Amino acid sequence: MIEYIQSALLIISAILIIISAIGLISLSGNTKNAVYGRIHIVGVFDIACIIAMIGLGQYLLAGIYFIIAPFTAHAIANAYWKKEDRENNSDLVTVEVEPDYDNPFIHPRDKFGSLESEDSEKLKADDRFSVATLEIDEGE
Amino acid sequence: MDILFIAKYVLVIALIIMMLAALRASAYKSTSMGLLGSSVVVVAFAMALLVGGDIYNLEFFKDISLALIFFGFVGTVAFAAVLGGEDK
Repeated sequence: MIEYIQSALLIISAILIIISAIGLISLSGNTKNAVYGRIHIVGVFDIACIIAMIGLGQYLLAGIYFIIAPFTAHAIANAYWKKEDRENNSDLVTVEVEPDYDNPFIHPRDKFGSLESEDSEKLKADDRFSVATLEIDEGE
Repeated sequence: MDILFIAKYVLVIALIIMMLAALRASAYKSTSMGLLGSSVVVVAFAMALLVGGDIYNLEFFKDISLALIFFGFVGTVAFAAVLGGEDK
């Protein structure tokens, strides 16, 4: 009976591995964020390997790999994002959001930036007031 | 020929297909894809070693596959840390 369960686990993992191999190859490089998609596909392969390890009776190895695999995927994705993706696709860093000027709790940067610029109406209005300074003569 | 023996061979064939796919994937233009492909090849080889050791009663196959998986992880994370560089 155990032999059949082991065989089923190994066959299931073999099917998952073949599916992930086909996905890894057939995902087009022109697709947006294709590298993250491929990392995701490798996640299927990782879980298939864990199932196969359980089927082979290597429980400790399966447990270790179950913990290790997400760290690997995250490290690769993080490195790709920090270096290649951010340098090659600089438009990803700037997010365009339409500001809601009517909301009293949101203070858009462009609105306050225009108030602080040199030719703003607010600063011109402030020119009406002069600041008097007291000059102290040290000789007295 | 029992079904477990056939299942092991099917798994080895699937792992070989995955290794070839990972080798192709590691040849894509991004450096991260090379890192990903090499990591997959190492894990697939460790798995094939587990199955092969189970079939042919090899010595130390568990230790070698454990070392491959663990040091493959360490190498991948180290290379990824170097590739990512400092935080800006």
